[in-house]
Amino acid sequence: MSPLTFNIIRQSTQLPAARRGTVVMATHASSSSSSSSSTSDKEPVESTSNCTKRVIETPGCFMYSVKGSVPHLTPDTLRLQGLDFILLCDIRDWSHYTKLPPNSDRYISMMTHQGVRQLTLEEYFKIVRAYEPDIIATFADSISDLDQLHPPLSVNDGGGGQLVEPAGHGLKRVRKSVDRSLKWLDLILRERQGFDAMAEDRMLEEFKKKIKKEKDQSTTTSNISSSNSSNVGIVAGSNDRLQNGVDQVMQETKNLNLEGASTLEIKQLQQQQQEGKPTKRPWMNVSVFAHVVGAQLEQERIRSAQETANRQGVDGFIIDTLTLSGSKEQVLSLLKVSIDHLPAEKPRLVYGMQTPEDVLKSVALGADLFDTSYPFQLTEDGKASMFSFGTPSITTTTTSSSTDNKTSMNKRWINLWDDEHSDKFIPLLEGCECYSCKGGRHTRAYLNHLLKAHEMLATVLLMSHNMHQYSEFFANVRQSIQDNTFEQHSALFVQTFGTEPERTSQIHVAQAEVEAALARRSRLNGDSDDDVHGAKSTTIAAQEKKLQKEKMREARRAKHKEEGLKKRINKKEMTSEKSQEELKEHEALEESGEKL
Amino acid sequence: MPVGTQGTLKGITPEQLECLGCQIMLNNTYHLGLRPGQELLDVCGGAHVFQGWNRNLLTDSGGFQMVSLLKLAEITEQGVQFESPHDGSLMLLTPEHSMSLQNSIGADIMMQLDDVVSSLTTGSRVEEAMWRSIRWLDRCIKAHKKPETQNLFAIIQGGLDIELRKKCVEEMVKRDTPGYAIGGLSGGEEKDKFWRIVTLCTDLLPREKPIYCMGVGYAEDLVVCVALGVDMFDCVFPTRTARFGNALTAKGTLSLRQAKYKDDFKPIEEGCGCIACTSYTRAYLHTVVTKETVGCHLISIHNTSYQLRLMRQIRQSIIEDRFPQFIREFFKDLFVEKTAYPEWAVNALRSVNVDLLK
Repeated sequence: MSPLTFNIIRQSTQLPAARRGTVVMATHASSSSSSSSSTSDKEPVESTSNCTKRVIETPGCFMYSVKGSVPHLTPDTLRLQGLDFILLCDIRDWSHYTKLPPNSDRYISMMTHQGVRQLTLEEYFKIVRAYEPDIIATFADSISDLDQLHPPLSVNDGGGGQLVEPAGHGLKRVRKSVDRSLKWLDLILRERQGFDAMAEDRMLEEFKKKIKKEKDQSTTTSNISSSNSSNVGIVAGSNDRLQNGVDQVMQETKNLNLEGASTLEIKQLQQQQQEGKPTKRPWMNVSVFAHVVGAQLEQERIRSAQETANRQGVDGFIIDTLTLSGSKEQVLSLLKVSIDHLPAEKPRLVYGMQTPEDVLKSVALGADLFDTSYPFQLTEDGKASMFSFGTPSITTTTTSSSTDNKTSMNKRWINLWDDEHSDKFIPLLEGCECYSCKGGRHTRAYLNHLLKAHEMLATVLLMSHNMHQYSEFFANVRQSIQDNTFEQHSALFVQTFGTEPERTSQIHVAQAEVEAALARRSRLNGDSDDDVHGAKSTTIAAQEKKLQKEKMREARRAKHKEEGLKKRINKKEMTSEKSQEELKEHEALEESGEKL
Repeated sequence: MPVGTQGTLKGITPEQLECLGCQIMLNNTYHLGLRPGQELLDVCGGAHVFQGWNRNLLTDSGGFQMVSLLKLAEITEQGVQFESPHDGSLMLLTPEHSMSLQNSIGADIMMQLDDVVSSLTTGSRVEEAMWRSIRWLDRCIKAHKKPETQNLFAIIQGGLDIELRKKCVEEMVKRDTPGYAIGGLSGGEEKDKFWRIVTLCTDLLPREKPIYCMGVGYAEDLVVCVALGVDMFDCVFPTRTARFGNALTAKGTLSLRQAKYKDDFKPIEEGCGCIACTSYTRAYLHTVVTKETVGCHLISIHNTSYQLRLMRQIRQSIIEDRFPQFIREFFKDLFVEKTAYPEWAVNALRSVNVDLLK
């Protein structure tokens, strides 16, 4: 029934958990969308009649994309990487950790470019049906101890040395997050089969509204206790919970002497549930990867993994290490706990393991899929990767600048902002077959110039190179598992390239200079740098001003929206008090009316 | 000619530019002179090699910066003294220095250093600039070290004064350069004055040499100027406006940031073969434009493609002897109503026997 199958081709003999495999997506009737998407590296598409097969080789990675595009790469540049497209959608950005407001039973918080939003399961289903991704990640009640610390934090900071030891989430909250995630998973799996999973929830919501309406209009005093009135916080899910909800509603309707018709509807719905007839179209081409949670608590992680694994219809698992706090070793051990309790025959996607050595360690534990946040981060920093796996690294001129120890010691990347590259007319990496390096078309000197000139082509070329190198890295990892040399090569890698230095928010000296100069120039002029024969430069300046105003307006709007949402959440808790007040007011008015 | 000021066409790779059919690109001497600098360019063998561009290059002398950065420039007979906006240091741009820089850059076409004044300037300054440009042309020709491999173009100055322009043309033609440019326009002057100067120059300049109108421009400007006899153009407009999310089409400009494109599932322009139009819809571009660099690149590619295609169509229609018809169709597509046709364009075209209002 699922379009996704996972085959293990080879298990490593040295590190038994590591394995080489393929994820095969067999989709029917091409949904030719014109937008590109997250991808993974693989062989070209082979289509057999109606069914197209796409293969992801594992260990492998999904390309990080924003708004449907890989940062900086237009489709033609992307295609030159020799990749094809398989789309995986998740709700939150998995390239870095962001602190978000807490979730509730009914929604999870997510970040959009217009600010924070609450996403309900109902909307999520609509999205899945509209997007039809190849793989959808489930709703997960992701909680993090990092929330307790000062936001925002980068992944590598994870806890920081100088900060106070976080209180951490207690057992109760963690348990709730595991339960919630499972409940949501069940609903998703039902919807996937074609059942209207949110039907009960929707109907109960309608009744709640009806009840509230009736109450507001009703003039008879009733013995409704404030706790019962509108805090019917039901999550339609497991049947006994549903039953409780239904019972409560039934009680309400009785109390208010509503028409018997409404209770009949509920009874009919319950009957339908028992009969189990799907009423909607099942998800034909969409596979489900389930998040496995449990925060820092081992027992809960085990429970989450086991329970999730028990569900029928889960095609793969996602373990998000971005939200885990602690040292690298601690995080890896928590990852291990989860993986150890997941079935071997399904693929595991891991977020947060981005640097090459982290990838190697995770692969050794049994992870299959990763993401490309690492090459993206390198690109943003102006770095070009030099590391390789398995094959001896081609000797390149190592950075010898004594000014910054961190960047000079390792050979894993060069920073094109460094002055020493300004006269190096050699490719980024000799022998590299990527778009930038191939044929020696682009040089380090040119990249250095582009960065200093604040030109966008810099990130295009760096991204092409870094993506290509990352793909090569994974290809070599796969080969070494095949050849049983994975353990040696992993050790050799760490020996040769060390570990990734911590990524700070400090920018390169040269970059700071350039940005300061640009700021200075815009203050002096108003015209932009490339005014060769500027036609209508005044209107361009006006346009830019307009753009700025727009940005400010959008930011304000997002803020208001956030505040508005907060108010709505608070309102829920206040309505009980409010309804009493309103009732009193109403009564007072009535009395005065009568008097008159 | 798309403008790649600092040795790159703002986010587009040389390969992408080649795919669009671009034959010649512009670089700016002033900027390249500052960064990466002459020494580096000499070492690597010129700007072609430096930016990986295998086709043709044209370099501007650096003179226009005089007008755009005028607050920081002092013009003397010797040359132009700039106060560099990067680090405040003083840089003197003489005709000799400009030639030397342009020789190092190695562009196929070089421009003389001219004394540019804004087209809105009036008075004796305009005449002074015109005569000085002629004197600087002579200095440029003398200082030019590679006349066999690089073509030096003269730039006609004289502001909006007909007599000055005539004089300038007369003098510069005597120097018999491989080509001529009409400079000092596109500075915000009235369009009706603009075209009259253009047509004056094209009437007087030798027929067998290319004429390059600098700083033009919008699609309708291109079409009209070709009708008046111009052969080459450059403008930052298509790539710059792309970065604001504006896509150019034969039917007008689409401001893709607007909400009305949210559910418009057509490509930017039907029939356009660029990567943006073959891969995406307006609705998708609406979501990424101005927010992701990819949006920027895609629209830049489309706009460049649009302009290059326009010029291709113009050339084809001239070869097939149906250029007047093409002009009429072009204006109809772009402006729709005859009442919307810009008056200056109607006048200009009438002067070459093309009646837009027929």
